[in-house]
Amino acid sequence: MDFGFWLFQTLNALQLSMLLFLLSVGLTVIFGLMHFVNLAHGALYAVGAYVAATVAGMVGYWAGLLVAPLIVAELGLLLYWLLIRRMRQSGPMAQVLVTFGLIFVLLDLTRIIWGDIALGIEVPDLLSGRIEIGGVTYPVYRLFIIALGAAIFAALALVLAHTQIGAMIRAGVDNDQMAACLGINVERLFLLVFCIGCALAGLAGAVAAPVLSVTPDMGLKILIPTLIVVVIGGLGSLWGAMAGSLIFGFVQTFGAVLMPGLASVLIYALLAAVLILRPAGLFPARG
Amino acid sequence: MFHLSPLRLGTLALLFAGALFSAFASGYAGLEILTEILILAILVIALDMVAGFGGMVSLCHGALMGAGAYAFAMAGMSLGLPVWAAMLFAVLFTGAVGWIIGAICAGSHGIYFIMVTLAFGQMGYALVFESPFFGGDDGLAGLARPDLSALGIDLNRSRAFALYCLAALVLVALAAAQILRSGLGRALVGIRDNERRMRALGLTVWRTKAHLFGLSGMIAGLAGVLAAQHVMYISPGLMAWTVSGEALVVVILGGLGTFVGPILGAAAFVVLRHEIGALTPYWHLVVGLILIAVVMSRANGLFGFVEGRLARLAARRTAKADAPHREPRDA
Repeated sequence: MDFGFWLFQTLNALQLSMLLFLLSVGLTVIFGLMHFVNLAHGALYAVGAYVAATVAGMVGYWAGLLVAPLIVAELGLLLYWLLIRRMRQSGPMAQVLVTFGLIFVLLDLTRIIWGDIALGIEVPDLLSGRIEIGGVTYPVYRLFIIALGAAIFAALALVLAHTQIGAMIRAGVDNDQMAACLGINVERLFLLVFCIGCALAGLAGAVAAPVLSVTPDMGLKILIPTLIVVVIGGLGSLWGAMAGSLIFGFVQTFGAVLMPGLASVLIYALLAAVLILRPAGLFPARG
Repeated sequence: MFHLSPLRLGTLALLFAGALFSAFASGYAGLEILTEILILAILVIALDMVAGFGGMVSLCHGALMGAGAYAFAMAGMSLGLPVWAAMLFAVLFTGAVGWIIGAICAGSHGIYFIMVTLAFGQMGYALVFESPFFGGDDGLAGLARPDLSALGIDLNRSRAFALYCLAALVLVALAAAQILRSGLGRALVGIRDNERRMRALGLTVWRTKAHLFGLSGMIAGLAGVLAAQHVMYISPGLMAWTVSGEALVVVILGGLGTFVGPILGAAAFVVLRHEIGALTPYWHLVVGLILIAVVMSRANGLFGFVEGRLARLAARRTAKADAPHREPRDA
């Protein structure tokens, strides 16, 4: 276990963390702003992966990466008008159940449209191959995932901290009724955030497609890690989503190498401990 | 408060008669479906106790059922206990696990409660899935059914096994009704309606919740034992969170907190799964759409809808008899 080993595993952990960050940031801000639990977020990620795989097969990888978030955002808009708008006043259980039903529906719809066979996706020449850093050779594509996640995080942090719309979102998360009294159209703000969250889920799917195989149940598999990240980090907080993703990525990756057989148990034990000791998560959005 | 109205009692009697009739009238395939319904009904009674009457929406009941199944298997295989002792051990073990989870989660509410129970359920799933001690991904085979040959009953025949499960379901339903009717059950309903008031009345809230969760865990454990005996094979898939989710769906479709509704829901769910599953491979699409429709309609499931309608009708009739010009009250 030399330096190379640690570097290699650290990069693996970072790559998993960034993927989870792209998914969990949408989920967490949606929850923070509207107290809405969207279990179907993982299903949207799967749709994104399928759209990316299809478009990439026809036009090319970069087109898929661009189109997938747009299509998934459209799907999110549709879901908003059909279901979510009416579920705003219901309790958490009704929301959990409706979005649980939505998982079933989206799962079978992807099976109807794309079939049960796993799809693959080609990485463009620019990102294929391996590169040597610090004595280890590492796939370029995985470095691209890390860079993309970091870039999105930086962009979101800038927007939230330094723009007017960011201030409005922060106000909405902090106290939506007060924000509405101050003349902010919280509902429209929410719709915007919801669409961006869905687009990020689609982007995560498109980014993950070449690394993981594209199967109908990929959304179901990623859902639980995403929820864990959101709950550990604290609902509604951008920094919490990043912290939660990093904790999950590192515990999962190093746990699997150093303590095989206990990695997953470790994650769930950590989640239970956080929920019991700090029920609002590590970095709650509200003071 | 828990009350078995004539409508509920009548439905229970009808369901029992129907189960008894189909136990004798149906062939092998029918008996398999019936057994599946009976086991699911036991699980959803356990879930309805905590979710419907205690407001504790648990996403770990599938895992509790799996814990019962694994405890039963391990007690028989590793400890070498005879079948009846292994069954008792499994039920008590699951009850203890349920009590601990209930005690730890007693302070969480709403979405957080759902998340903590999900975390505990997944912890169990990961433990079983990754440990070779429990057979890992491959599961465990070769589980025994109890030997009732002294009574002249061969439980390896599916009719006898279905009747055995029916007997277990009746016992569980009677026990659950008794629990909910007791002081403990009334305290639980009080907590659901107003936790602060119950605390002000001097109740140790977490202990009531833990006791009920433990009792519910025992029932879920029994469901797990029966499921293990039914297929004589167990795998970690039994403990996946989607099993808990499906159990919750059954409770919701039947009618949360109506006691009878979830049993009705279990029958409808399994029959629909087999009927629709025979027509199309996309059974989940149908159940997803039904679930969304039921939750968005704001009716309390199948049974809750009927009960609400009948209550409104009865209220209108009495209102008319009392004073014809008065507006009918909403029940």
